[in-house]
Amino acid sequence: MWQYEKKLQYPISIKSPNAKMAKIISSQYGGPDGELGASLRYLSQRYTMPYPELKAVLTDIGTEELAHLEMVGTIIYQLTQNLTPEEIEKAGFQDYFVDHTTGIYPTSASGAPYNAFSMQSKGDPITDLHENLAAEQKARTTYDNILRFCDDPDVIEPIKFLRAREVVHYQRFGEPKQTNYNFHCISILSENTKILLISNSTTLLLSSKERSFHFVITSLKTL
Amino acid sequence: MTEREILMRKLSTAEFAAADLELFLDTHPNNSEILEKADEYRERAEYLRKEYEKKFGSLTSDSDNTGKWQWIKAPWPWEIKKTEEEQ
Repeated sequence: MWQYEKKLQYPISIKSPNAKMAKIISSQYGGPDGELGASLRYLSQRYTMPYPELKAVLTDIGTEELAHLEMVGTIIYQLTQNLTPEEIEKAGFQDYFVDHTTGIYPTSASGAPYNAFSMQSKGDPITDLHENLAAEQKARTTYDNILRFCDDPDVIEPIKFLRAREVVHYQRFGEPKQTNYNFHCISILSENTKILLISNSTTLLLSSKERSFHFVITSLKTL
Repeated sequence: MTEREILMRKLSTAEFAAADLELFLDTHPNNSEILEKADEYRERAEYLRKEYEKKFGSLTSDSDNTGKWQWIKAPWPWEIKKTEEEQ
């Protein structure tokens, strides 16, 4: 279960509304690499994750992503207060406005509503971990892109905080390699990539030629 | 910054430090040095939370309401800061 705390993870207090920025930043609310998808991805993946370290990481990062969703929602909300119709039109915000007024709605900056096809929960620890490493980098790039259009320090600071968290999460998702996840990785590969190994006997996992050869022979036997 | 903002900033800092160290511990469960640090920040955060709630009201719905349901009181976290008089 969760309990709500009446506070943000990082303070946000935006003094000047800016509908153009709101539209761009909305992508991190409900866009393909946004915080909604991030929290859903991790909180869904954890049920079938076999390793204790990773169950904890998915739960804790998934929970933090919900706090980030709230931060992004807050930024969009504060950026769209007290706008005049002229400002809305000048910012190109009328497309969003006509559908949602200034309601916070999960959509990408280009207007595509949130779609769960942008994330995956595959029930395979190797696949899910790599999905997550990629997801953190995709979110980091999106924050980099948002920062290219930002000139208000009230917006830049929380966005920089969110960007930094993507980097930390990426790091955490990369660390379970030190656990028995590593052995799992090898056994999964020996099961799933027989054909690939046969056509290309060099593999990153097996260093010596001999071992590689033995591996291919064993794989062939089980085919 | 108002007194409320200063105290909230202190609380957020301690809570963030604790949470970030706890996340580190998920993948380094045997690191006792970090465990100690995490406990230290968690303790500080709990102290600051009580201070904040005493002065400015509940952060969670089960915080001490002292005879009156405080939970519905503004401000909510997304609301734009008003001056203390307006609240």
